[in-house]
Amino acid sequence: MIQFDQVTKRYPGSDEALKNVSFSIDAGEWVFVTGHSGAGKSTLLKLTAAIERPTSGTVLIANQNISKLKSSAIPFMRRRFGVVFQDHKLLYDRNCFENVILPLRINGVAGAEASKRVRAALDKVGLLHKEKAMPITLSGGEQQRLAIARAVVSRPSILIADEPTGNLDASYAADIMGIFQAFNQVGVTVVMATHDALGLSASHSRVLHLNHGQLSQSESPMS
Amino acid sequence: MTNWINHHVQALKLVLGRMRDNLLSTFMICLVVGVATSLPGLFYVGVDNLSKLSGHMQDETEISLFLKVGVSQETLATIDTALSKNTEIKQHHFVNKDEAWKRFQDESANNGDINKVILQLNKNPLPDAFFIQAKSAEPEALEALKNSLQTLPGVEQALLNSEWAKRLSILLKLGTKIIFVIAALLAITLLIIIGNTVRMQILTQKDEIEVSNLMGATSSFIRTPFLYAGMLYGLFGGLLAIAMMAGIMEAFNLSIAQISSLYSSDFSIALLNPKLFIGIISTATFIGWLGSYIAVSRSIASFKIN
Repeated sequence: MIQFDQVTKRYPGSDEALKNVSFSIDAGEWVFVTGHSGAGKSTLLKLTAAIERPTSGTVLIANQNISKLKSSAIPFMRRRFGVVFQDHKLLYDRNCFENVILPLRINGVAGAEASKRVRAALDKVGLLHKEKAMPITLSGGEQQRLAIARAVVSRPSILIADEPTGNLDASYAADIMGIFQAFNQVGVTVVMATHDALGLSASHSRVLHLNHGQLSQSESPMS
Repeated sequence: MTNWINHHVQALKLVLGRMRDNLLSTFMICLVVGVATSLPGLFYVGVDNLSKLSGHMQDETEISLFLKVGVSQETLATIDTALSKNTEIKQHHFVNKDEAWKRFQDESANNGDINKVILQLNKNPLPDAFFIQAKSAEPEALEALKNSLQTLPGVEQALLNSEWAKRLSILLKLGTKIIFVIAALLAITLLIIIGNTVRMQILTQKDEIEVSNLMGATSSFIRTPFLYAGMLYGLFGGLLAIAMMAGIMEAFNLSIAQISSLYSSDFSIALLNPKLFIGIISTATFIGWLGSYIAVSRSIASFKIN
């Protein structure tokens, strides 16, 4: 499903964020990306979600080489992913319902079908009663859940989350992990960056550990 | 197809919603567009109507041949035959001085001042005259004909009535050119104003654009609402321009009606000029579209994947 081969990413005016990273993720897998801050976790996720292109090496998503994709084809590639950003990237000028409907608009889903799916997504994250609320009035955990609802509303086959439990206390974090696990159980591939021990201990998943942009291990913690 | 329509309906709804939320600033922008479009529009109406007037006058081109006082019947007959033989002349008629004098007195009977002057004159000051209509309407040909008629014996003066109309039409041609220059300059100004307005909107919608882009929105998805915004500014501005022009023309028409009545004409500015109105609206809409297209394309370029 996702394949990195000798991938290097260098940002202008800085060191290599990723060096010679190779791995592959199968459909339906759950993969943690761990590492110290600045190790390249976010870069790896951005490359995975076709938000950035590698400086060298190849990133294959569903057998398509991201580097060789035309700019006009990139949006359609991105629609395969549901992304939960580290900073949520919620739109604070509109209510929860309107935040969640945005990906559906982009995908050309409208009308009653769209409303139905937005409510289903809000229901899954336990925010159905807050559809008219503005995101700014939500707690940190609720905002995170809203971001998840928005990521899953267009039913992507891959969920990418950048430190979704980063700023939350333990009970909220467990909540969030539970939501992701529910999606993984129905076959959604999950790629999650985290430095959170709770997440790791609670799952049976593979870990990609990054150290200064290099992959130092790729293993299952429970095996 | 339904997808495509949906996309446009959504974009239009979104833009109209935003405009409704910012009614005052939207109105201000439309007003700027309206004023900037109505200026060349009004100039055009002015020049267009004057051209019609001068064209109308040139159709009645006439050469007046005023004869010397006291010409003999023989000279009159000679001139008459000469005019009949001249192939460039369509028709001519003779008005003798008594007839002309009587007509002048009749026409000015209602005008007290002139009547007083007429009464004070105790003899007819008018000469005998021939009025000639030429076959050609070309200014040069008319000029040549006038000069040749001037040399006939017994002719005091040959006058080409259309001379001032000709000068006016040349001035009007210059006026048209000036309008084009003004319109072009104002079009550039509008392009910048609308482009800047849309650019400001893009800045306030920056988050939405960025998030949409990350979620796989195509450039056209991001661009469409802004293009509609630009086009609507143009459209509403154009409509406002037409309303203002109609109001101004109506006000002018009152004065023009008074002036025309002095010249015993029923000339007035035509209020309804569908061609001009459609032209103004479509030009303003196009400028709005172009201005926002440029602004939004520049901003989308900054979101390109690297």
